[in-house]
Parts: sequence; structure tokens; C-alpha cells
Amino acid sequence: MILNDLELAMLRGDHGEAVKESIEFQIEVGSFFEAKEFVPITNAHVMGDIEVMGDGGLEILEKFASDKAHCRVPTSSNARCMHFGDFDNLKADEVEVKKEKKLIGYLKDMNIAQTDSCINYQTVYQPKLGEHVAWGDTGTVIYANSVLGARTNYEGGKASFAAALTGRTPAYGFHLDEYRKGSFLVNLETQLTDLAEWGALGKIVGHSHQDYSAVPVIDGIKEVPFSDSLKHLGASLASYGSLAMFHMVGVTPEARSQKDAFKGEPPKEVMTVTKNDIDGVFTAYQYKAGGNNIVVFSGPQLSLFEIQNLVSLFDGRKVHPDMSVVITTNHAVYSDALRLGYIGILESAGVQVLQGVCFYILQRLSDIRKENNWTNLISNSGKLVNTITAHRFNTVLRRTKDCVDIACTGELK
Amino acid sequence: MSHIISVKRAHGIVVEGEVLVMREGFSPRYDLDRISGVISRIGHSVEGESVSNKILVIPTVKGGVAGGWAFFDLLYKKIAPKALIFGKLNPVMVQGAVLAGMTITEGWSEDLLQILNNGDQLRIDPEKKQLEILIK
Repeated sequence: MILNDLELAMLRGDHGEAVKESIEFQIEVGSFFEAKEFVPITNAHVMGDIEVMGDGGLEILEKFASDKAHCRVPTSSNARCMHFGDFDNLKADEVEVKKEKKLIGYLKDMNIAQTDSCINYQTVYQPKLGEHVAWGDTGTVIYANSVLGARTNYEGGKASFAAALTGRTPAYGFHLDEYRKGSFLVNLETQLTDLAEWGALGKIVGHSHQDYSAVPVIDGIKEVPFSDSLKHLGASLASYGSLAMFHMVGVTPEARSQKDAFKGEPPKEVMTVTKNDIDGVFTAYQYKAGGNNIVVFSGPQLSLFEIQNLVSLFDGRKVHPDMSVVITTNHAVYSDALRLGYIGILESAGVQVLQGVCFYILQRLSDIRKENNWTNLISNSGKLVNTITAHRFNTVLRRTKDCVDIACTGELK
Repeated sequence: MSHIISVKRAHGIVVEGEVLVMREGFSPRYDLDRISGVISRIGHSVEGESVSNKILVIPTVKGGVAGGWAFFDLLYKKIAPKALIFGKLNPVMVQGAVLAGMTITEGWSEDLLQILNNGDQLRIDPEKKQLEILIK
């Protein structure tokens, strides 16, 4: 990689040991992808919680903090693995709670804004068309690339911290024009009305194209989708396919037309998605008998408008005694929802609302599942029903209103 | 005569070991119990197998940024795989492997899923961008 004077100074250690270690790491990663240079970034979003990084990762952050590491660009934190509230059925290990609090202290030392959010693009920072960022959560990455027209790769683990400390990232993948053109066409022959249907579309397209370099171009949308719809589509594409970008003709900024999205080249493949295909995703999920069940609205965290919709569906109803219901969101949305009276209505119905976490990354989740005797996990999130499977839930995707009905009646339909 | 397979990209040191061949995409978050090192996703092609000290042969990836920390965490817990041989990967796998000092490759000149079975012995030479099947 060709380095400028500032980057050479970082590599020499002129900007401290943490920056030196970070840029060395970035050069190793960049060299794998044959990056020729770095690109400056305006914003970083880091993923660091004790469940995923473990004691080894904690030691790295401890060292960064002791080296007086300080973010070079505004930086936010992703959803974390524990809620520090009073929910006895979702408790984290006490030892891990102490580590998580220590870890949060290191983030503060590094001047990372502890937003604990995987929807930073809805509530924290919205980069502009062509703006380079380094974001460490797949759902945030695909939203940034696709909906905002910003430019980022998946920046996992130490990579997102390194980018925050150096203010740059190796120029490969979705930072480059040639990576961003569409590769295959998805003709959508139905209109999607529920967030779960957007997730189902993401599953159909993503599962059949597990390729980070693939960029689907979705055509056939008749009405402008809401941000939450594109959020669920993107999160699902990223989850099933490890995809980092999609185009939607007439909707996303680099796809004013099909020709624009494909940069004048023909699609390598054309696929069609019909109403039957979408319905088939739902019917393929089957319930297992035995135990209790849980309905979860999470993955990604909910926006204020998603919570508002759930308030209208739960208002005046009660969660069935055999069911549990969990919603997760970030601190910013939670605060607004509390002020607006939404949290009170949900809690009166028997819903648990967690802030600053995402359900599938909860610390000791396998044990929590066993302790609560949960068998089926029902959700309107196409992503969640895929990401949580290592914990041996039987997952079922259902439309939002159906999820609420299941939660309040206990009938697994 | 030994069987040599070329890879497109590679990073790390020369490694020899026993392979665990996955027949589907992999994510350390979705598929792996990161406390025991055993594949825990119900119905995964290697469900119940340990990844510890194995060379993982993986056709594609699913998700996910968890790999950025997860391989280092597995190393810390002494249950890490020895190397990762991907058909197609995403940057997180590389970021995670570099952090953990783990050898990683992408792309293969022949379909390894047709050639290798669990327990076969493989040698990886990242500098030469070559895989050598030692024992089948």
C-alpha cells in the first residue's frame, strides 16, 4: 500500500502505540485485498461487547485505553450484550456484567459515544452520498451503502476500532466504484406490506447468493418503501447472503434506472420473486411442540415508528401466560418512547422492553433459553430468525400483526 | 504424486492439519457454540463437530461481524481452528483471522467439497498460494 506522510508517521509510532498497532493491522488486512491506499473516513461505528470479544478482546481495549488512544473521527458503539435492568429472566453473569462495565469505561476513555445502537443510521449519523465511513455491523453497512449511498465495508472487531483511531480504512471493496455496480437483477412481481415480508425477500435473495461481492438490483417497487422496510430488507440480505449492498430501482441513490444500477452492463443473472415465493418463506417455518414460547421484536433494534405500531397492536391486550414478549431498541428511541407513553402501554400489556441491546447477542443466551424453557422463537425479523440459531431456538418468521396475536392468544398460528 | 490446489488469496504461515469440511455457509455467531467450540446450529452439515485445532473448509459466509472478534476469543479459550479455507469470504473473516494470527485463504482452483472429507490432512502454503492434500 502507498502511504502518505501522515500514515507513515502513524506507522512509525509518532501518534502513539495504539495508532501504530492499528495501522499495522489495517495494512495487513488491506494487503490481503490488494488495497493500493487508504481512504479517509468521517465516522466510525464499533462493535465491542464482552459476549463476542471475550477476555482477549477486553485486554486489547484495555491496552488501547492505557495507551491514551483517542478516536480521530466521531465514533458510536453498536448494540451490546446485556441490559442492566431488572429482568430476572434475562440476567447476565455477574462476572461478565463487571467486565462489560469495564469495557464501556474503555470506550468512554477513547471518546466513543456509547450509543449502543445497531440503527445508528436512523438515530445517530446519516452519511451522505459518496461519504466514506467504517461501520462495524452488517445491517448498518448495507443500509449505508445502499440507502444512503455512503461507502463502507464490513469492519468487524478490531478493524472498526482501528479505523476510529487512524481515521481511515484500506480502500478496497465498497469504497471503490467498480464494486458498487449491480451484478444480478431481481424482478419483484409482488408488493410487500409488512416488515417480515421485506425480511423474507432478503432471505430468498440472500440465501441463494452467499457472496460478499454480489450486488442485487431489485426492480418492480411501486411505492416508496419506509426506512424500516429497507432496514429489514438490508439486515436480512446481509444475514443470509453476507451481502453489503443492494440497489432498488427508483428508490436508492445509485439506481435511478436499471442501466444506472448496472453501470450499463447486462445483469449476470435474472431472478423473479412472486407472492407465492414470499408466502412460501412463511409456510416453511414450522413450530415444535413442548415448552414455552417467546415473541421477539429485535434484530435490528426498533425505530420509534416500529414501537408506535406495536403500541397500537398491544394497546388494551395482555401477553398470554405461556408466552414471553421482548422488544429491543437503543437508548435514544427508548427515551422518546418513554416520554410519549409508549413504554408504559407495552409494559402494561406484559411486554419487556430492553434498551441498548439486541436480543440475539445477549450474554448467556443458551442458558437463558433453557431456564425459561423456550422452544419456539417467533419474530417479524427475517434476520433474527437466522442469527439466533446457534442457541438452538426453533425459529418462526411471522408478520407483525400475527406475532402480536400469537403473543396475546398463545395460539401458534 | 501430491495433489496441489491453487488459491486466489492467502495470508498467514504454513500450516498442516486435519480438515473439517462444511457443506454450507458459516458464521461463528449463527452456527458455533463459542464456549465449547462445537457446531451447535440444528441441521448444520457438521453439527456436533468441534472446530478446535481443525482446518475449516468453508464454501461461503453468512452474516456477520462477529468473526472480527470471535476467532481471537476462540484462540484465547484454546479452542480455535488452525486455519480457514474459504471458497468466498467477506472482510470480517480476514480481519478476524489477522487478529488471531490464523492462516486464511480465499478461492480455490478445484471444488474442495468434491475432493476433501472430514479427517483428510492438508498443508497450506500462503506464500505460494497453494493447498496440498497430504493424506486422504
